[in-house]
Amino acid sequence: MALLSNAAVLVGKEVRTEFRSRELLSTTIVFVLIVVVVFSFTFDPTTNESRRFGPGLLWMAFLFAASLMLQPCFLREQVNDTLSALRLAVRDPFAIFLAKIAANTLFLLLTELLMLPVFAALFNASFGAQLPGILLTFLLGSLGISVVGTALAAISAQARMRELLLPLLLLPLLTPILVVSTEVTIRLMQSEPYLEWKGIGLMAAFDAVFLTVLWLFGEYFLEE
Amino acid sequence: MKNLNSIFAAYMIGWGVFFLFFVSIVKRTRDLQSEVERLKKNMLREK
Amino acid sequence: MLRRILFGAVAIGLVACAAYAAFYVAPEERTMGAIQRIFYFHAATAWAGETTFFVCFVANLLYIWKRKPHYDWLGVTCAEVGAACITVVLITGPIWAKPVWGIWWTWDARLTSTFVLWILYICYLLLRTLVDEPERRALLSALFGVFAFIDVPIVFGAIRWWRTQHPAPVIMGGPGSGLDPLMKKVFFFNVLAMHVFAAFLIVQRYFLEKAKHDVALLQREAEVR
Repeated sequence: MALLSNAAVLVGKEVRTEFRSRELLSTTIVFVLIVVVVFSFTFDPTTNESRRFGPGLLWMAFLFAASLMLQPCFLREQVNDTLSALRLAVRDPFAIFLAKIAANTLFLLLTELLMLPVFAALFNASFGAQLPGILLTFLLGSLGISVVGTALAAISAQARMRELLLPLLLLPLLTPILVVSTEVTIRLMQSEPYLEWKGIGLMAAFDAVFLTVLWLFGEYFLEE
Repeated sequence: MKNLNSIFAAYMIGWGVFFLFFVSIVKRTRDLQSEVERLKKNMLREK
Repeated sequence: MLRRILFGAVAIGLVACAAYAAFYVAPEERTMGAIQRIFYFHAATAWAGETTFFVCFVANLLYIWKRKPHYDWLGVTCAEVGAACITVVLITGPIWAKPVWGIWWTWDARLTSTFVLWILYICYLLLRTLVDEPERRALLSALFGVFAFIDVPIVFGAIRWWRTQHPAPVIMGGPGSGLDPLMKKVFFFNVLAMHVFAAFLIVQRYFLEKAKHDVALLQREAEVR
């Protein structure tokens, strides 16, 4: 399919661009770490409380980091007007979105996986047996954040005060992801852990709905 | 009537919000209408 | 102009009758007493707000499809009127809750989702102030409006599931929960009155948006000359 092969090529471009400098990944990881540490000062991180607040804190850190990390997504395409070049290169503009969503999901996932052992150490949590569940939760959560975040990055790139606008628009829209992923992660971290399939289903539904909406309306985000 | 103050407050504040909203619409409309008149007058003068 | 004044008079008249019905026609509620009468205003305004947001959604879709400016005007109009309605809902709710349940606020599903809904439409209005070019502003806000409206039921579902994980006393039972038939009639009359009033506000605000457009056109013409 032309759409998928175009998207694949563009994903390669996005990943290569990022790994050349790795500045986005490194700053995002450090930012998540800072947020986790700073938030920890607001409550007493003893074992019981950290089990309750830890996952929420983690997902909030991911959300804040994502809202900053997604900024350059379309901003860097404004330099030298590479967005026009991309639009000419692909037949379906949705390929551009698919590529950016895939790349952003990958970067977010990498950040989250790198943060997981740090988080486990800081909050004395162990996920060993629940690792597949955690991975699935992170994947669906990151996908949801990327789908909505990439669309809104396209919007905020065309407005003023874009640094503040993207988090402003993104955080309320991502309420379902925050709420559900926190609950699922709490279940995975408690003394009798289990994977909450209803939550997974809700997250998958969120991802599917917004991916469909973006597929239907994507070309309008990239209009001249 | 029990809690009369609360019912009174709710209705007053609620309708107060709507009233303020309506007043702001009317004021903005009036300002724009006078701006339209001013622009039309300027254009006629230039003619 | 005369038609609008007439419409306004009808709207105010209906609303006044609805308030009278809420206070003197509807029977007194057994457990809460007189303060329950806030419900007629509070819930009716909530329904009117939600209808208004639906109209905003349709206007957004129509703008993306047809690109006619009046769909954009309708969109921003409905967003503002809807935000005003939900502001009233978020204010009257706690005023009702405090004397009855002793708390201003609780994070139950309905309240939390309403709060998120309100924030989403405030963001929609904020976005519009940050894009200068009219057609771009219309398109971007329409796209965000579509996302926001589609998100609302998902937000409600997610938060409702979240609250079932942490059971808390459910306050403010819905309008259908065991309402006396006369109360139901008064309630639906209030719903009608608030919808007519919201429609009146929409008409007024729409003509403001049209006037803004006319001013911009005239200014451009003046510059050209």
